[in-house]
Order: sequence, then structure tokens, then C-alpha cells
Amino acid sequence: MNQERLFKVLLGPHMTEKAAVLADAKNQYVFKVAADATKPEIKKAVEQLFDVKVDAVRVLNTNGKTRRTLHGLGRRNGFRKAYVSLVEGQAIDFADAE
Amino acid sequence: MQVSVETTSALERRLTIQVPAEKVDTAVDERLKQTARRVKVDGFRPGKVPMNVVKRRFGDSVRQEVLSELMRNHFIEAVTQEKLNPAGTPEIEPVKMNAGEPFEFTATFEVYPVVELKSLEGESVERPVAEIKDADVEELITDLRKQRATFVETDKAAETGDQVKIDFEGFIDGEAFAGGKGEGYDLTLGSNSFIPGFEDQLVGSKAGDSKDVEVSFPEDYQAADLAGKAAVFKCKVHAVKQQQLPELNDAFFAQFGVAEGGESAFRAEVRKNMEAQLKQATRNATKQAVFEALMKANPIEVPRALISGEIDNLRRQAAQQYNLGQDFDIGQIPADLFKDQAKNNVTLGLLVGEVIKANELKADDALVDELLNEMAGSYQEPQKVVDYYKSNPEMLRQVQGAALEQQVVDKLLSQAQVTDVTKTFRELAMPGQ
Repeated sequence: MNQERLFKVLLGPHMTEKAAVLADAKNQYVFKVAADATKPEIKKAVEQLFDVKVDAVRVLNTNGKTRRTLHGLGRRNGFRKAYVSLVEGQAIDFADAE
Repeated sequence: MQVSVETTSALERRLTIQVPAEKVDTAVDERLKQTARRVKVDGFRPGKVPMNVVKRRFGDSVRQEVLSELMRNHFIEAVTQEKLNPAGTPEIEPVKMNAGEPFEFTATFEVYPVVELKSLEGESVERPVAEIKDADVEELITDLRKQRATFVETDKAAETGDQVKIDFEGFIDGEAFAGGKGEGYDLTLGSNSFIPGFEDQLVGSKAGDSKDVEVSFPEDYQAADLAGKAAVFKCKVHAVKQQQLPELNDAFFAQFGVAEGGESAFRAEVRKNMEAQLKQATRNATKQAVFEALMKANPIEVPRALISGEIDNLRRQAAQQYNLGQDFDIGQIPADLFKDQAKNNVTLGLLVGEVIKANELKADDALVDELLNEMAGSYQEPQKVVDYYKSNPEMLRQVQGAALEQQVVDKLLSQAQVTDVTKTFRELAMPGQ
């Protein structure tokens, strides 16, 4: 896997209440990732970009919501989300990443 | 909090104030907690945003905000602590403001001068005194008649003071020029409304005369192409009108609001008005003289900040006076125009304030009433005016201010050596006429 691909995998941190709680309680960080990203790719990208050790990665696809507009039904874009657990003692500060 | 005072010039002080780091941090945290309750961040329910997210998002701006607030508060605290009396707004500048370090800032400002009031003991003040003589009344009535004068056609030769109705056309070197023509113009001889020499040459003309008036435009005439040139005006006099003063009869009196009582009532009314006018004028002149003496006896240095504030006030007043409207930028009026006046006003304000403080003067209710009645006297229903003023605190305060000023003047007068200078009514009440 080349270096360029790594920068395309992570789309950004997913900042929600749930993510904030998980970061505190389980040392898990949530990212939006490219639709075709795999777990090993994500692991490697996070490890390299944030200089941390990743324990595990879980991924899931969210579907976009359907919206009804003047011009009939429409669908918002969905995205692929990754929950990344870090090895104990590691942390990510998004202050410089956002 | 550490404060050090530097004296940079006679009236300028520089405060250097240090606030410990913990104090700043707790203040910032406090403020962040408050912000956390209000802010809305995507992905979080309102009020449920965790502290670290809030800190990351708003930390810097909140810190700035807190610091500027701290500067204001500590400045006030420091000023009270050092017992300084700042004039105008201070210039506050942060010096060190890194997180974890004590926060340091300087405030530069001017202080009010300490006035050691010298009394007017031994100073001489000229107080104008005037009496209204019958001749003064007579003169005023003549003035009033002149204002209402009518012009009646006569076939005599025109004299100064008469009105002539003329057509005129001006020529320079035999050629007519723009704006040099008029028809049926009523010109009052001796009113100096035309270029110098023009009116004089029409003296002695009769109705139906034609006359060539030879004049030269003055060097500083407003139209540059005409200035300094010699011109010939061909004039045709249509009529000569003589000024006729209205007779002193009831119809004339009625124009001035004296419907009954005839001439004696009219004279009494005129005299009453003159007396009020004289009283006012005497009071103003005395005040002026006293204040001038006060300023001469107490030369003080005044803070520049106050002067520039006063200049703005004067500018605004001037703008209002000339109806320049709300949108007018008062900065357009040059400040130099008001500099001296502003300095005088500020100096006087400080000195008068000091006199009030030194003598513990308060607006005297009796005097306030007197001033009110005096003012109301010229209205149709004096009692209503008095009641209106009394029911309106702001208006009443104005009168109280005037009363207080009066008391200051009286107080100073009692200290100074007063020489009475006799003046005529005309000199005092109508300066510049």
C-alpha cells in the first residue's frame, strides 16, 4: 500500500456526543473514512498520521437519509465510519488535525 | 495584583499591572463553563457539549475576552488603590499574555490636575452697571418703528435712507456682462447692499431720471473676472420712496402684543422687556469677568484628553447649529477652530468644580425658584412653565446648574475687589451694534 493512499483513507474525525463519550471511556476514536477503506488500511493510516498504536478497528456504512423535496424523493450521501480503539495509554488530540 | 506607577509627564501616568496566572486561568475556566451551556456545536445536543470540545473550539477567543475584561476591572481597581483620578479614557496595552505566565499590561492615561484654588482675594473684577434711562426707551421704540417702516413714493430727490426702484444694466468697456442686469429692483440707499459707491451716486436722483453710475469693483470681489474692473451701470430710476415710520397708535402697539392701555402701557412693556434683557446681560457680563479673573488667578495645566473631548462637543454643537444633519461627520470640522475655546471651557469647568467643592455649594432652592420665575415671565402662562420644569427632572437640573453657577459667581465676587463700571444700556445689552 503506497503512502498516497494513506492520506486518502481518513476523511476527518467524526465529532459527536457519542464519539466524545467513547474517547473518554474506551479510548476509541471515530473517523469518517473513504467508502472503500479497509480495516488494515485505516489502522495503518491512523498509526502513521497520529503517531499512535492502534488496537482494533471496527467499520460500518451509514446510509444517507431520504429527503422529500419539491422535485420528488432525494437521498443524502451516506458515509463509511470507523471506530478505532487505541492501545491503552495512547491518545489523539484533534486540535491540530481538524 | 501588582501595580507600579510611572510618571511620564506632568499629567500623564503609566500603570503597569500584573495579574497572577492562576487568577487568569480560573477566570477563563469559569467563562468556558458558562459558554458550554450556551453554545451549539454540530453533533451535540445543546448544553451537552463536553468541556474539552468547548475548550478546543472557543478557548482562544474566550481567553481574549476574559483578558480584556480583566484589564478593565484591574485597571479600575488599580486606580482606586493608587488613588489616581484619570481624565478621559486610558490607553491599555497588554505586555505579556501567554498562558501559564502572569498576565501583564500597561495603562497610560492622564490624571486630573490637582487644583490648589487661589481665592480671588485682592484680584480686581470689573462689574458692569447700567441703568435704563428714558432716552434708551425712546431709542428702542424708534428702532421698533424703523423695523416696521413702510416706504411711500415721493417726487422729491432721493436721500440716504430712501428706497429707489431702479432698472440697471452694467457695462465693462462698453460691453454688457453676465449678472450685471436687474429690473424693478428696490434698493435702499445707504444699506451697502451694492458695491461701494453705487448707492452714493444715486443720491439726489428723482423718479424718471436716467443716470450712468460709474464704479469700479473692489479688488476682493467674489467674482474673480469682475474684481478690480471699472464698470458703468446705466440706471433708470422708476420711483423714489421715502421711509415713513409708523405712528405710535393702538394698531402699532397691538403688533407687539399690547392690545390695551395705549402708549403708557406700551412704554411700560418695552421697559419691562429691557429690564429683563439688561439683567440677563449684566449677569452674563459679570460672570464672564469673574471667570476670566478666576482663570487668570489659577493657571492650571489641563489634560489633553479632556480638551479633545470638549472639542468634539463643540463640533457637535456647531454641526447642530448649522443644521448639518445626523450623518454629518464631525471630524470634518477642523479641530483647531475650537482648540482655544475648548481649553478655556475645560479649565473653567475644573476651576468652577473646585470652587463648588471648596465652598460646599449646593443649588439653592430659593434661587432656583427665582430663576424659574424669571424665565417663565416671558411666556403666556408662567405658572404652567414653572410646573413643567418642576415635573421634569432633567429640565430642572439645567436650572439648578444655572443657579449653582450664579452662586459660584456670587461667592467669587464676595472675595474679589469689585469695581463698578457704568455702561449704557446699549453697550451692555446689545454688544456689537
